[in-house]
Amino acid sequence: MSIEPSNDIRVPDRVGVVFRKTIGQYTVHANGRELDCTLSSLIRKNLIYSTADPTSMRTRVQKVKEVEHVDPIAIGDRVRFVDAGQGRGMVTEVLPRLSTFSRPAVTTGQHVFEQVIAANADQIVPIFAAASPTPKWGLLDRYLVAAEAAGLPSVIVITKLDLAWKNPEIDQELNVYRKIGYPIHRVSSNTGEGIEELKSLLQGKMSVLVGKSGVGKTSLLNAIMPGLGLRVKAVSDGELGKGRHTTTHYEMFQLDFGGTLLDTPGMREFGLWNIQPDELADLFPEMAGHIGQCKFGLSCQHDREPGCAIRKAVMDGNIDPYRYKSYMNLRGEL
Amino acid sequence: MKYSASSFGDFKCGHCGVIVSSAHFLSGVNNRNHCPYCLWSCHLDLYAAGDRLCACKGQMKPVGLTMKHGRNKYRLEKGGELMLVHQCIDCGTLSMNRIASDDDPSRIDAVFESSLRSNVHALCEQYGILTLKEQDTDVLHKQLYGRVDIPVAVW
Repeated sequence: MSIEPSNDIRVPDRVGVVFRKTIGQYTVHANGRELDCTLSSLIRKNLIYSTADPTSMRTRVQKVKEVEHVDPIAIGDRVRFVDAGQGRGMVTEVLPRLSTFSRPAVTTGQHVFEQVIAANADQIVPIFAAASPTPKWGLLDRYLVAAEAAGLPSVIVITKLDLAWKNPEIDQELNVYRKIGYPIHRVSSNTGEGIEELKSLLQGKMSVLVGKSGVGKTSLLNAIMPGLGLRVKAVSDGELGKGRHTTTHYEMFQLDFGGTLLDTPGMREFGLWNIQPDELADLFPEMAGHIGQCKFGLSCQHDREPGCAIRKAVMDGNIDPYRYKSYMNLRGEL
Repeated sequence: MKYSASSFGDFKCGHCGVIVSSAHFLSGVNNRNHCPYCLWSCHLDLYAAGDRLCACKGQMKPVGLTMKHGRNKYRLEKGGELMLVHQCIDCGTLSMNRIASDDDPSRIDAVFESSLRSNVHALCEQYGILTLKEQDTDVLHKQLYGRVDIPVAVW
């Protein structure tokens, strides 16, 4: 048990939501105002106080632990800040999160840190292009598993509907996810097809756009909010049509019809954070119902064990073999 | 060469337990399908060779031989490529697989001999696979040893 020292009552603290962050700078929205905030050094550290006498008025720091995050603040965080006037402030505390959508940070060192992509989100919106770049369903499975682990629903959005003729198999491939129960929405930012329907799915919620570079996340945002005028680029020439990593920072936008939308840079890779191998099958909704029915019960690895209910369900056609392969690939990484 | 079961492609045979290398310069094929010593395979592929989409993962027994005539057509004809027919002992699925250059020829011969005494021919015909029969012995020996009459080793 630790006792936190009381805040300085001479400076009133306020509460806001982090909408944008760059290195060392956080844009906090509070009561219709926008403040550029720095970070109190106390947030980067976890102070351990004496527990000998919890009622003691003297608080003495016994130990200082560095917080193991790439960044202690994520977009969507509700933070307490000190208003320094002239549109500036300092974030002093991160309030408890309702949800975290995380991945392992891409770092060069041996120690892997958590990177919270979004905090307090209501839904995840994985975006894939119908063509250019070609959809990678293994990456979609990663997003869906991470969303399930965070306890968040997902809405799959297929962009570039006007280019769907280049990929005639996409309907069949999407049926796999439709059968599982994931809502799938198709839009074209160029023609405006499906944009109005998508707005109703985003209304009143904090949604997180995720997808690889070049799928049209920012173009979609521009189509939803025409006044934003965010910078977009065409994918590179050639058959693969790779993105050019145009968006380089995380920023959340207030939607004029209600709700917020977080635009993220294209993610080339997406690892799973803090998921145990034994709980992975539970994060595949179509497999969850078969857990515990195997011959070896909860100890079954669902790989080569005899009497595995999940493998039987794949053989019977109740689970798609591609999803099972995704499960095995992800399990091999954990 | 140091063998490692964990490196990509190399595997431990689920039937005889030998570590098998998938190196192309040993097998002569891009996708090693079966153990070159016992010829048993594993039921891993579903739609195409190497897709690894099958959840059965049962052991596949070599049950017979056939000839691959042309593109995706399995037909008995002289001059075609010799293929192994495997049957999954768990789900009964049949599959045809290329013979690797380091497959044991005496084992292949033994599979042929045992197929003559089994009813695998009728089963394979249901799947449109024409297996080699007794009258095809010369064709098989020419494929395996390069000659019809096999010299008996004198020790």
